[in-house]
Amino acid sequence: MKNSHFKYVGKRIPRIDGPEKVTGELKYMTDYQFENMVWGKVLRSSFPYARIKHIDTSRAEALAGVLAVLTHKDIPGFNGFGIVVPDQPVLASDVVRCTGDAIALVAAETQEIAEHALSLIHVDYEPLTPITDAEFAMTDRAPFLHESGNIHSHVTIKNGDTEKAFSEADIILENTFYSPRQMHAFIETEGGWGVLEPDGMLTIRCPGQYAYRDRLQIARALALNPARIRVISNPIGGAFGGKDEITVQIYLALLALHTDGRPVKIHLSREESVIAGIKRHPFKVQMKTAARKDGTIIANQVRAVADTGAYASLGGAVIALAIEHCCGPYKIPNVDLEGFCVYTNNGISGAFRGFGVNQVCAAIETHMDMLAEKLNLDPIELRKKNVYQKGDTSSIGHVLKTSVGTLQTLETAEKCELWKNRALHKKDISEPWKKRGIGLATSFHAVGMGIGLPDYGAATLELMQDGTFKVGVGCEDIGGGNGTVYAQIAAELLNCSISSISVVQGDTSETIDSGTVTASRSTYTGGKAIAAAVPNMIRLLTEAAAEIHGVMPENVLMGDDELYALKEDGEKTVTYKDIFHYLYEKHRPTKVEGHFMLPKEQEEFKGSGGAPHHLYGYLTHIVLVEVDTMTGETDVLRVVSIPDAGKVLNPQGLEGQAEGGAVMGIGYTLYEDVLMEAGYHKTTNFTNYILPTIRETPIIETFPVDSAEETGPFGAKGIGEVVMIPIIAAITNAIYDAAGIRIKHLPATPERIFAALKEQEASTPVNLNE
Amino acid sequence: MKTIDFCVNGKNVSVICSPAKTLLDVLREDAGLTGSKECCGKGECGSCTVLLNDVPVCSCLVLAGQVEGERVVTVEGIGTKQAMDPVQQAFVDEGATQCGYCTPGLIVASRAYLTSIGHVPGLDEIKRALGGNLCRCTGYTKILQAVQTAAARQLSSREL
Ligand code: FES
Ligand code: FES
Repeated sequence: MKNSHFKYVGKRIPRIDGPEKVTGELKYMTDYQFENMVWGKVLRSSFPYARIKHIDTSRAEALAGVLAVLTHKDIPGFNGFGIVVPDQPVLASDVVRCTGDAIALVAAETQEIAEHALSLIHVDYEPLTPITDAEFAMTDRAPFLHESGNIHSHVTIKNGDTEKAFSEADIILENTFYSPRQMHAFIETEGGWGVLEPDGMLTIRCPGQYAYRDRLQIARALALNPARIRVISNPIGGAFGGKDEITVQIYLALLALHTDGRPVKIHLSREESVIAGIKRHPFKVQMKTAARKDGTIIANQVRAVADTGAYASLGGAVIALAIEHCCGPYKIPNVDLEGFCVYTNNGISGAFRGFGVNQVCAAIETHMDMLAEKLNLDPIELRKKNVYQKGDTSSIGHVLKTSVGTLQTLETAEKCELWKNRALHKKDISEPWKKRGIGLATSFHAVGMGIGLPDYGAATLELMQDGTFKVGVGCEDIGGGNGTVYAQIAAELLNCSISSISVVQGDTSETIDSGTVTASRSTYTGGKAIAAAVPNMIRLLTEAAAEIHGVMPENVLMGDDELYALKEDGEKTVTYKDIFHYLYEKHRPTKVEGHFMLPKEQEEFKGSGGAPHHLYGYLTHIVLVEVDTMTGETDVLRVVSIPDAGKVLNPQGLEGQAEGGAVMGIGYTLYEDVLMEAGYHKTTNFTNYILPTIRETPIIETFPVDSAEETGPFGAKGIGEVVMIPIIAAITNAIYDAAGIRIKHLPATPERIFAALKEQEASTPVNLNE
Repeated sequence: MKTIDFCVNGKNVSVICSPAKTLLDVLREDAGLTGSKECCGKGECGSCTVLLNDVPVCSCLVLAGQVEGERVVTVEGIGTKQAMDPVQQAFVDEGATQCGYCTPGLIVASRAYLTSIGHVPGLDEIKRALGGNLCRCTGYTKILQAVQTAAARQLSSREL
């Protein structure tokens, strides 16, 4: 497919919401202020694990300016939420399992009064010893944090005979890897507002990643018909998975029932967001990999343990995806893989860009680098030897039926300047005590939800009074720019100007259910749904034009932004505005729908928790680093990102994802970690959580490989997550290339690198002959 | 409570509030200017950046009492959708905004920086100037490009 056939698809179309964002005119949910507004606040637990003996709210209730103080007793419906299992109480009643647990809600005239009221609520706790180690949580000695035990989920995938393969191997590597508790650190903390409308509708405006599911979770807690709740979840000041689960929606809904129709607003401080918000699961990954001398990998054995903290959220799905992806995009004939998702009292972990694949990719791609070195093979050659292609069988044993771009990404990597000239780049140090190195890694990430979960897209297309079109897709724009891509697709297919397209997203009253914005799925799924709606719109327009001019529909042709009716006395132009008025006067609908089911694999691997997926995106990263041997500090200087995202619908948007993902990956690998001690957060805010700034931004180049996935909209797949995955191991491999140390415990902080350098020094024998 | 008079985006305003209220809250809650965002409230992120007598400051660290009689410019005063500043136009053209929550602060900081120089800055110069503004979405690459593009356009329009 050549771009030149298209007016919008494949073009660098600037974001349609750009102007309102750069001028500050766009109103986020947390921006709204009203004369009669009241403030909501949440009382969080003082202990990571305790029994609640008694809650006394009487003093808070008596405070002037307080409108409501709510506890678990005030929940009309089910006191729990959670995307998969609703194991998290909305308001804790008898036990708290993490310091993020909410116990009471307050609504008051001002923020100050609300805060004062919180301090007047007395909770009588019986503190218990928190469980802070996931391995310990799995033993018999650990008390159960939930009735079902501490292992939330256990997934396994087995294929071939690993024992036999290990006994026949020429080389075996065995290592344990640890990964950090990364914070999403979206710039807009959780917040929004809710109001009980005069007609009895409850409106909740709160950034989220799936308005329809948020609405169901609210309805369940309030025992209210979901049809009486409207959730508006767009726009969003960043999410990355961190707003996939309920944040403050249910609190807003509960409070709104008690404020006499006055709007109630909650906006978490950064400090509260750190404590209450979900994080990336810290993993322990034990991996044993076997290969033959020629570089053929013959076996991989993995045991991964994910710390999901106090509640499951999407932890079960995270560990399942990790296990599905832990052998990389390779065909390893013998695998024995298992993963555990375990409850502890360490905050809460949940969805985060990459969804478990980051943690396991770091392990397999470090092993690939070690194998290449030990077998004296080129790291790209070694990978090329083991990658699967479309039609091949993957390590987990399924035949790949959709496009696979790994080989192309590796070939592009081989040819790129940074890789070809790596010997030169290595020598080019900035100080004598600094060392440079170049590392590479490749990975993949599933697109869509996998087996067992509904996965459909739906879109509406409406002809408006002024002759423009409104595209409605449930999927929110969490920053990635899917709204612009939706407009491009609609304009392309309707053959109209993109300025005639407006897009509405994330509003249960204005859009139909189109699933979540997760799993890199929204471009693919929403795009296909729009493509399905367009023929319905064209039919509607054509038929109306035919009626207007009394011709057969086949005598109506589409032009640019208008239609032509072919009549005996010549062509008659019909504008979309004319059609709207014609239909409006006849009280006929001007809105159509399009629906799309994501193709799925037929058979699930038993015990795998949803594997395999049908569609994957692929990516190879190359990085250049410089390690300061005096301080242990690492700078990433250059990044080359080579994605296979299928057909690129908007190169500017794709680069934006690749650049943002790379920098987030740098933060994850080098400094980000929410530190916890005995169940309490030692990391409290951005003063002690180090995020990459513009100063740390390397030169980032993006070279998408030319590929098209037949099933995708215009051949597209998805990109949102894979962009931050291989870079992790690419950086640690580059650190090894520079300084000869293997970092298996992330983040690779200066302290860890310095310690590793010292250890290396101590263990290197001094050669007296030199 | 105290009456505080100051000038914001060229207009004189008068608000009644506690002198210890932050300028950011005054702008957002009392002046109805919600372009400036709160992200950390501690001077760490720059999303609340405004100009105080032409100097970029974190408005979450400035108290209302300190702006009595002073001049404040927020992102709304830099340009509007109908009449964008070259910096804003360049951010749109280069794709330098994603979720957009950090963007107003970056626009204000970039505008102040470009006003203070008369050349197309190198990457290291921009990195120094914008080191206090966090963005979690973009990876900053397109922000660097946007600032250079705006500088080049600004320069060529001055030369005309
Ligand atoms: S909110 Fe002012 S610097 Fe972050
Ligand atoms: S665009 Fe989202 S934080 Fe910068």
